[in-house]
Amino acid sequence: MSERNIAIRYIRPILMSAGVLFKQQATDLFVIFTVVIQPMIVALLALWMLGDAVDDAIYIVVGSGMTGLWSGLLFNGGNSITRERWTGTLETIVGLPTAMQVIVIGKNLANVTQSMASMIACYTISSLFFGYPLVVQQPWLFAISLVFTGIAFVSFALILAPLFILNPAVRSFQNGMEFPVFLLSGFLFPILLLPNWTNPISYALPTYWAARALHITSQGLATRHELLFVWAMLLGFSALYLIMSSWIFRAVLRKARVDATLNMQ
Amino acid sequence: MRKFVFNLRLFFESARLSYIALFRWLRPGTYAASKIIMPLADIMFFTFIGIYANGVEAAPFYVIGNAMHLAAINGIYGVTMSVGGDRWEGTLPYLFGVPGSRLFTFLGRAFFHLLDGSLNVIIGLLLGWLIWQLDFSQANLLLLGAAIATATIATCGMGLALGALGLVTVNIMFINNLFFFLLLIFAGANVPIEQFPNWMQTISQFIPLTRSIAAARLIINGAHLADVQSMLLVELLIGAAYALLGFIIFRTFEYQARLRGTLEAI
Amino acid sequence: MNALVISDLRRVYRAHTGVIKRKVKEVVAVDGISFEVGEGELFGMLGPNGAGKTTTVKMLTTLLIPTGGRASVLGYDIVKDESKVREHIGFIFGGERGLYWRLSGYDNLRYFASLYRVDPAVSKTRIPYLLDLVGLSGRGDEKVEGYSRGMKQRLHVARTLLHNPDVLFLDEPTIGLDPVGARELRQVVRNLQAENKTILLTTHYMFEADALCDRIAVIDKGKIVALDTPAGLKKHVQDLSVIEIEVFGLRSEALEKIRTESYVDTVSLENRDQRQALMIHSPRGAEAVPDIMAQLDGHRVGRVSVREPTLEDAYIRLVGGTHE
Ligand SMILES: Nc1ncnc2c1ncn2[C@@H]1O[C@H](COP(=O)(O)OP(=O)(O)OP(=O)(O)O)[C@@H](O)[C@H]1O
Ligand SMILES: [Mg+2]
Repeated sequence: MSERNIAIRYIRPILMSAGVLFKQQATDLFVIFTVVIQPMIVALLALWMLGDAVDDAIYIVVGSGMTGLWSGLLFNGGNSITRERWTGTLETIVGLPTAMQVIVIGKNLANVTQSMASMIACYTISSLFFGYPLVVQQPWLFAISLVFTGIAFVSFALILAPLFILNPAVRSFQNGMEFPVFLLSGFLFPILLLPNWTNPISYALPTYWAARALHITSQGLATRHELLFVWAMLLGFSALYLIMSSWIFRAVLRKARVDATLNMQ
Repeated sequence: MRKFVFNLRLFFESARLSYIALFRWLRPGTYAASKIIMPLADIMFFTFIGIYANGVEAAPFYVIGNAMHLAAINGIYGVTMSVGGDRWEGTLPYLFGVPGSRLFTFLGRAFFHLLDGSLNVIIGLLLGWLIWQLDFSQANLLLLGAAIATATIATCGMGLALGALGLVTVNIMFINNLFFFLLLIFAGANVPIEQFPNWMQTISQFIPLTRSIAAARLIINGAHLADVQSMLLVELLIGAAYALLGFIIFRTFEYQARLRGTLEAI
Repeated sequence: MNALVISDLRRVYRAHTGVIKRKVKEVVAVDGISFEVGEGELFGMLGPNGAGKTTTVKMLTTLLIPTGGRASVLGYDIVKDESKVREHIGFIFGGERGLYWRLSGYDNLRYFASLYRVDPAVSKTRIPYLLDLVGLSGRGDEKVEGYSRGMKQRLHVARTLLHNPDVLFLDEPTIGLDPVGARELRQVVRNLQAENKTILLTTHYMFEADALCDRIAVIDKGKIVALDTPAGLKKHVQDLSVIEIEVFGLRSEALEKIRTESYVDTVSLENRDQRQALMIHSPRGAEAVPDIMAQLDGHRVGRVSVREPTLEDAYIRLVGGTHE
């Protein structure tokens, strides 16, 4: 496939879908709550709770930021598909040559970018305001980890989207999946505290590897060896979810077309 | 007397309808899952942070605080949804058209959430017992039940106020989320209130949950009725005050709507 | 080669009823229909509400999977080669839904163009051209939520032409439009036909079908009850004339009596305020009028007219009998 072809088939639809989502939810209070207010509250609580145990405020900022990243993807990602249902565009876009999966990648990308940007802004402002210095020890490695984190979240949220397409009762899934991922990914405490049998589940979550990469690079604990391993796992699982999702999307859309649920409201 | 029976019927009927509405909204399977998974994960998340900070001995503090906070799931989300639900289903004019019994319809909805919310807290505490061996041997279980009921009633009172507010504002989900999390902070579920700055401590005194959480911790440590009764009473009063506020908003809204004839248009 | 080949296509819906005890009810929406549409043909589908027109269109546009039978678009199977089909078709489901209301008309088109994989350089010129074509130039920068219903529908037409598809499915494109808007839209459809596009059109407006379509399938209860050119369909009623009589307070015995007369083919009655319009199809034409008037003895009778049958009369004869 030529470069031009890739651009027209994938890159442009992804970017345009992201842009459209930005325009749609720029002023949505619910979105602002999930990506800004809730993580700030979690950060505040964690700061009080962990203040003595963790000597780095950055640990709390990174961890609570990741909770916001996940909530944002889960709620706004799911809601954006519900919104397509309401506007009646879900049916229209299924009938287009561009795969639904590509569109959802665009939406997820917009959500992740929006969450990251608004949270970085908020944390910077509050650290200046409250006089908590936020120091990232390995800024370059952290920045690269941040990009990889974006990829991990986008691809992980991708396997949830089909659920939302299949079932209009989105909210109950969302509520059921928000905190478990916080727990299992080790955003704000080491997963070693959890019962051992849960650890394999954590290892299979790209969000876990992302949290680990961000925590060790921000605290300056990353050795080259460990970081490469974490990155490899992160990207490996992301790729796996990407491939799995394309299979799930096909199955789910087929089922929706058999059951005639695409235009159900 | 006839009037009382009529009102009682209305009360139970609207409680029953709230229940059915919830089940229609969530299938029984997903309802059960959200009844177990969400509370479990919610409690575990904050308890593990607490354990990470203060060691596993501190677990009861967090488990009890967060389990009690689960009352707010029904108190806030549940109640506002069923009060606000009228708006979506177009039954508001019908509801307003029933004379003299509004209070009972209003309270009936809250009653169902009272039961369901208490169940949330009990499940939460049981999880604490299962996972962290939360010790109930010193607890007066009846008194604990009273504390749970108090927490639920008080949050339902707040829910009624928010729900009535929801009839006026568009962004009820935003308000709900905000208050749910504000309660989490200010009621001292995860941080002892004494650690807050003064202005925050003042706010804590005027919200539901603060006292019932403290009472529940005391009761599980072996406190008696005399130790906690005033806390629980004050919390009930706070809940009642919020409910009254909700009712006033509700009535004002109704009056305004009738005045402008916008009842249908909402 | 035929653009559309449909053979024995069937679709059953399963509807769930009841909250606690869930029962399954089956609805046969399309019941084994077959037809072919040639390239460049404008093919119409007529039928009463619930006949299965939209369901047929949704299957052909890959939005529903048939329960039975098969169909192909430009030789591509609608189930197996769905992505190929999607590249070559455009579709509209009449009404306002299916657009992003918070975006401007222009942004809607730009977004859909990217999803239709239109080269950005091409869409730069094509979007203004299409906005002009559907009479929305100058309004493209406004948000769609502020558009009138007709403007939204015209935006849908522009949307579906973005990738210059060879086959178009238009499901009631003029529904709810004012007469001028509907006429303009019909002109757009005619222009598309002139560009040799294959078009499948459904409508409830007989004159629209008569004026536009090369051939028409009349569908009722999921089955094709007639398939012919508009002229051919009219032949079904060619032997008949249409007698319209204005009456006041027609009694039902009188109506039943007329219905059973040998020279009466179909009778329909329409209430208009105080009056009723009695419409009778009869092979005897004007000659039957005196006999009918005799039946109406004792009623106040207004205007009486006799005319040649139209497509609507043919349609009523084909599906009317089953809907009384
Ligand atoms: N999603 C669905 N689930 C269940 N039944 C359906 C569904 N969609 C359509 N039907 C049923 O299938 C039948 C055919 O419907 P369809 O929409 O195809 O008719 P139509 O010819 O387009 O009618 P109209 O002229 O009113 O648009 C109807 O009986 C309808 O009730
Ligand atoms: Mg239709």
